[in-house]
Amino acid sequence: MPVFKTPFNGYSVKFSPFYEDRLAVATSQNFGILGNGRLHVLSLSPNPSQPFTEIAAYDTADGIYDVSWSESHDSLLVAAVADGSVKLYDTALPPTSNPIRSLREHTREVHSADYNPLRRDSFLTSSWDDTVKLWTLDRPSSIRTFKEHSYCVYSAVWNPRHADVFASASGDCTLRVWDVREPSSTMVFPPHEFEVLTCDWNKYDDCIIATASVDKSIKVWDVRSFRVPIAVMNGHGYAVRKVRFSPHVRNLLVSCSYDMTVCVWDFMVEDALVSRYDHHTEFAVGVDMSVLVEGLMASTGWDELVYVWQHGTDPRAL
Amino acid sequence: MPPQNAGAEIGKPTNVDQQDAAKQSSKASVFVNTEPMREEQVQNAVKFLSHPKVRGSPVIYRRNFLEKKGLTKEEIDEAFRRVPDSQPSEQTAGANQANTPDVQRPAQSQALQPGVSGSTGVTTLSRTRYTFRWSHALIAVGFLVVSGAGTAILIKKSFLPRLKSWIRKIVLEEEYDQLERTDSKLTVAEEASQAAKAAAAAAAALAKANQEILTSRSEERRYFADVVSLLDKQVQEMKLLTSEIRRLEASRGASYSRHEDYQVNQTSSKPFIVNGKQDYGQRSVTSSSQPASVEPSSAPHPKSYMEIMAMIQRGEKPSNIRDIDDSPPNPNQQPSNPRLAPRTKPWEVSQVQQNSTPAFPSQVNVKDLNSSVLDNSDNAVPWWQSKNAGIREIDNGVENNGYGTASGQQPIKRTWVPPQPPPVVMSEAAEAIRRPKPLVQKEQTLDDQSVPHSSDVSDKVMKSSELSKSERPIEGSITNTVLESAEILEES
Repeated sequence: MPVFKTPFNGYSVKFSPFYEDRLAVATSQNFGILGNGRLHVLSLSPNPSQPFTEIAAYDTADGIYDVSWSESHDSLLVAAVADGSVKLYDTALPPTSNPIRSLREHTREVHSADYNPLRRDSFLTSSWDDTVKLWTLDRPSSIRTFKEHSYCVYSAVWNPRHADVFASASGDCTLRVWDVREPSSTMVFPPHEFEVLTCDWNKYDDCIIATASVDKSIKVWDVRSFRVPIAVMNGHGYAVRKVRFSPHVRNLLVSCSYDMTVCVWDFMVEDALVSRYDHHTEFAVGVDMSVLVEGLMASTGWDELVYVWQHGTDPRAL
Repeated sequence: MPPQNAGAEIGKPTNVDQQDAAKQSSKASVFVNTEPMREEQVQNAVKFLSHPKVRGSPVIYRRNFLEKKGLTKEEIDEAFRRVPDSQPSEQTAGANQANTPDVQRPAQSQALQPGVSGSTGVTTLSRTRYTFRWSHALIAVGFLVVSGAGTAILIKKSFLPRLKSWIRKIVLEEEYDQLERTDSKLTVAEEASQAAKAAAAAAAALAKANQEILTSRSEERRYFADVVSLLDKQVQEMKLLTSEIRRLEASRGASYSRHEDYQVNQTSSKPFIVNGKQDYGQRSVTSSSQPASVEPSSAPHPKSYMEIMAMIQRGEKPSNIRDIDDSPPNPNQQPSNPRLAPRTKPWEVSQVQQNSTPAFPSQVNVKDLNSSVLDNSDNAVPWWQSKNAGIREIDNGVENNGYGTASGQQPIKRTWVPPQPPPVVMSEAAEAIRRPKPLVQKEQTLDDQSVPHSSDVSDKVMKSSELSKSERPIEGSITNTVLESAEILEES
């Protein structure tokens, strides 16, 4: 399986919702502490000797923590930058025309970006300034700011079945569910006793959401009965950095952790761990499953490598 | 409205048909807490909020504490309502949060309310102490100066008379001596010498007086220097404090918040557990002051990471950072037109496909796929395509998603393409990316796998021919345009 070496430490990887062979990688220099950033747009090719082609690479003054593909424009990307700006890139335009936007409203690092898969016209960014902001492509300023968390918001994710609902995971140990039509959050509960680093909605059941935390566990909740989780998955050795539900299989989710592994879980099964991949040699920080190709997954980490492989195969095999 | 949204609108009802209808009216209720308020929790919250120490903390931390205890919004709001003088609304909480960022940020590492109020108290104390010190110093300096001047004056005043009297005494003595020695040989020389002695004595006395004045002055100066040095030290300390604060803020992003394990220290009541990482732990050690509690161990960070952290703490900037101007060259640059229609998600498709049988073309495609796997193991099937996914409905739906071959199953037409540049341009592009394989076959078998998704003209030809063959409903006029353009191409 191909490996791509990035010059900087990897932070996030996302498959394109338009092209099966395309993915974007967000990287930051010096582990994201202080340094430049680079956004790679890679294309997978069947040629085994050159499995990756870099379609574009965009340099930023500060590290990039997350990237999100547009759901309306096949060439547009949203980058969450550590200097608080949100940058839009268009791969169809020449590199000298990029970025096409730099939206500067967050006062701290922007940690995540997520594009609305249903409305396709808006996206969310969440930041360490405790806020989540809602944007559209045509407006130079945010439409709304959601300010209720009392600490960094690590992730804001749209519900794949309800176009106006999203969830935010924060370092204040709470998960909030919001409806953009409502003035404030509609639900809040503490899924973990420690910082919640990530969350993701189940694609097939609109009320199921997974959260993962510094406490090394992944919990799956039904928001209708949020006092008790549906499932608790332990097994990671350190903080879990990202979870993603599979777009193809209802019960499958993938997670990556500071224990350098990427794990696939089935939360409806007693022994939930389906597979474990330990191909990374540093913190595994980003993971994604392709919406277009079933079983295709990608991961990146601080070891400056991007792996793309099929579930069930060895990421390091050639 | 762009067609994508139209597609989304059409797509949405197919997701959750009945559910949506039921939920439309009560849609919000799914994502809203429907449990009744728990009186016990509310009372506990009231007790918590009534605590004097809690009163001093910002509302947002109080709310967060209650949220972490599992109280719902309603319960928290009710508790705030019951406690007088507190501000229940989130707007005020937001305002509070906005108003107190500067004070809170340096202290955010100890986010617990008592810790916060304690820290603000300490800062004010030290500040008052500091201002006190300034005025105190000034007063001391003034006093010293005055006292020095006074002593000088006093010395002069008291000394001069003493001097005079002493001189007189000597002179008188001399006179007496002289008188006594009238019969002695009082030569001019002796007189002169006596006078000289007296003069010398007087001069010595004067010198002594001057010296004492000088010493007093030097003492004054010393006092002054002492005071100044004390002041300098104060300034140094203040500078250190501010730089500390600045560093805390700056590297809060670096050390605290950018590493979640250590962020645990920033949350309320979390001590800093050192896993043999004392260096950058120092800062958080000074700022966290909470009782110990069980906490997950932090992951061992890579060595170079530690080095960079140490560098940052020392105030050095890593040398590999470049100055990059990443501002948009044209902030009003319009994004380029999308070349592909948005593709239906597998979870949206599955709803539809579950109601219908898989399409024969899709099965054929898969078979061709498999056969081509056997034929051309290297290039035919991109390695990332699932070979073992089997023939699953969803899988087929996904693979054939964008190409309309199985689109008859879905009422949603997904592969119409927005008005394209002239076909000539496209054919050139198509030539450029065409693979060196028999075109027709390739296109058909790899319809769903071909790498270039930009509208390949021959693709369109294929699709349009397939479309015309099938009995699928043709949506809108755009597909007709496709057909027309395809026909034009076929003719040409």
